[in-house]
Amino acid sequence: MSLEDEKLLEKYLREELRVVNKSLPVRRKSLKELLKEEYPYVLTRDGGIHMFRRSELRYAYELLGDELAAKLYLPIILEVRTEFSETVVSVSDEVAARLIAKILDMKDYSIPLYIYPKQLSVLRSLIGTLIHYAFVLR
Amino acid sequence: MSQQVLRIVRPTKIELIRLRRRLRIARRLHKVLKDRLVILTQEFISLIKDALELRRIVHKSLSKCDELLISSLSTTSPRDMEVLADNVYHYVNLVVGSRVVAGVRVPLIEIERKLDNDVLMTKPLNVVSTVKCYYDVIEKVIKLAEIERSIYRVGAEVSRVKRRVNALEYILIPRIENTIKFLEMKFEEREREDKTRLKKVKELLQRRGGFRS
Repeated sequence: MSLEDEKLLEKYLREELRVVNKSLPVRRKSLKELLKEEYPYVLTRDGGIHMFRRSELRYAYELLGDELAAKLYLPIILEVRTEFSETVVSVSDEVAARLIAKILDMKDYSIPLYIYPKQLSVLRSLIGTLIHYAFVLR
Repeated sequence: MSQQVLRIVRPTKIELIRLRRRLRIARRLHKVLKDRLVILTQEFISLIKDALELRRIVHKSLSKCDELLISSLSTTSPRDMEVLADNVYHYVNLVVGSRVVAGVRVPLIEIERKLDNDVLMTKPLNVVSTVKCYYDVIEKVIKLAEIERSIYRVGAEVSRVKRRVNALEYILIPRIENTIKFLEMKFEEREREDKTRLKKVKELLQRRGGFRS
């Protein structure tokens, strides 16, 4: 291995991060806005679309109410924290954290809200289309 | 785990610094890929569980619907049933989109229009329940199609990421670590050699100095 290989490794890391983050939304939309749309979706950076299941949007609306629905921007970005030894994701958005805490039945929580793989499977089954993973290197 | 060392041109300190940097990058990459693998594997397992459950339900519902169809054929002709099915299922619209799971694009299918009850108003009860039963099956089959397609996509990505994680974990990182260890040992050895050489020189100089004095 030489300097070239080192560059190759760095390039590969960048490429891998690009692959996992290429489908992040270009612009997020509020829950209220999405509920009004005929086909609720957001555009992604790779030029595709990310659709939301209407039943999941309605479920989130029921949990949050009208006022917070205008403040919840979707999809909820779950940041995968690579600095921990275990797989942990965090949510920095306050309204999104409140929704997730309600779904997971968490009484006390702080911002950022940390979510562990077991809790992720609950989220996936209830609001699978409303969440999106972002891989962040710190 | 690989016991080999990397092929380095010259065992220098610069090379050691480069290798340490490379190890840091490789470990970060490994962590990113491993986290992604955990998320994808979890998704894969839950999709398989859903698919198995849904398949079981579809098989059960289909046999129930067939029984209902036989009973309704006692009051309606097969031709009437066909016409009714055409009318009812003609209005089933599907919205096919996609969603993204940890970088993998998977399909998302939603039924746009629900069953039109007006068409069934004048029909006998057993015919209505047969139509509703098949409609439920259709909904489930569509959901099953979405899940099974997702399984293929997520599964392919799991195997791809797993190969990379394993390559990093069992080949690249151990090789870099071994090479660093080898270089460190080489430098220690060189340091020891230098020390011994210096001692010898000092002794020699002292001996010469002794002769002179």
